[in-house]
Amino acid sequence: MEARKSLIKIKPKRYKNGDIVKVSFMIMHPMHTGMSKDKKTKKIIPAKYINNVKFIYNGKEITNMTVWESVSTNPVFTIYMKIDGKGKLTVKYTDNTGESGERSKKIKPKG
Amino acid sequence: MQRREFFKKMGTAAAVGAVLPSVGFAAGSKPVSPNKMDYKTAIHAVTGGKEPKPSKKVHLKVPEIAENGAVVPVTVTVDSPMTSDNYVKAIHIFNTKNGNARCLDVHLTPANGKAMVATRIKLGGTQDIIAVVELSNGEFLMAKSNVKVTIGGCG
Repeated sequence: MEARKSLIKIKPKRYKNGDIVKVSFMIMHPMHTGMSKDKKTKKIIPAKYINNVKFIYNGKEITNMTVWESVSTNPVFTIYMKIDGKGKLTVKYTDNTGESGERSKKIKPKG
Repeated sequence: MQRREFFKKMGTAAAVGAVLPSVGFAAGSKPVSPNKMDYKTAIHAVTGGKEPKPSKKVHLKVPEIAENGAVVPVTVTVDSPMTSDNYVKAIHIFNTKNGNARCLDVHLTPANGKAMVATRIKLGGTQDIIAVVELSNGEFLMAKSNVKVTIGGCG
């Protein structure tokens, strides 16, 4: 299967060591609740939603989210993060059907 | 007489025909959520029986009126220094009327620097959003806000 489109956004774009920045993780995911019907076939769409999102910065897990089906389609998760040196931010997700994936972004503090 | 009987039968048959499919549809259109949970049991499961205290430290930002229930932005910010001995351990977001009362559980660490979480949730109708915050010293705080939903977002 083709990998899902996902994105990590850091605001502001320029940051220094010790700054607290806003990190958003966006992903294209249908987030089916298992309660809605297909309008054409009149059949219930089986549940498919993200159930776990992890933010890992330089090998250390900073945030762990348990997600339920009430979260919107194509979800966005925003948290704050303290910049602590050069490195990599990785976001890993898993889904209730066993699908998983990850997205990384380099952290380059200036000054 | 025969003609009258015939019309009577036709009428009842038509009525039954009209009623039956609608009954069948109504019964089939309410599937149960896979993780059905009442919000009181959900909060109880998170706090372990403790009663969360309403607090002004927890800022729950939701729109007063949501035109589209499928996308309701929710932001929870907590006033906390986020040092290693005094920080926000977890933020939980609940709803009161959806099939599953739990929306999002976020476990934070001091490395976050600031206790905040923002996301977008689906709401089936006008209801309350509850944010429950767990502090590192074991205390539970909460904030509550009502959202009016014009068009439901589930289903």
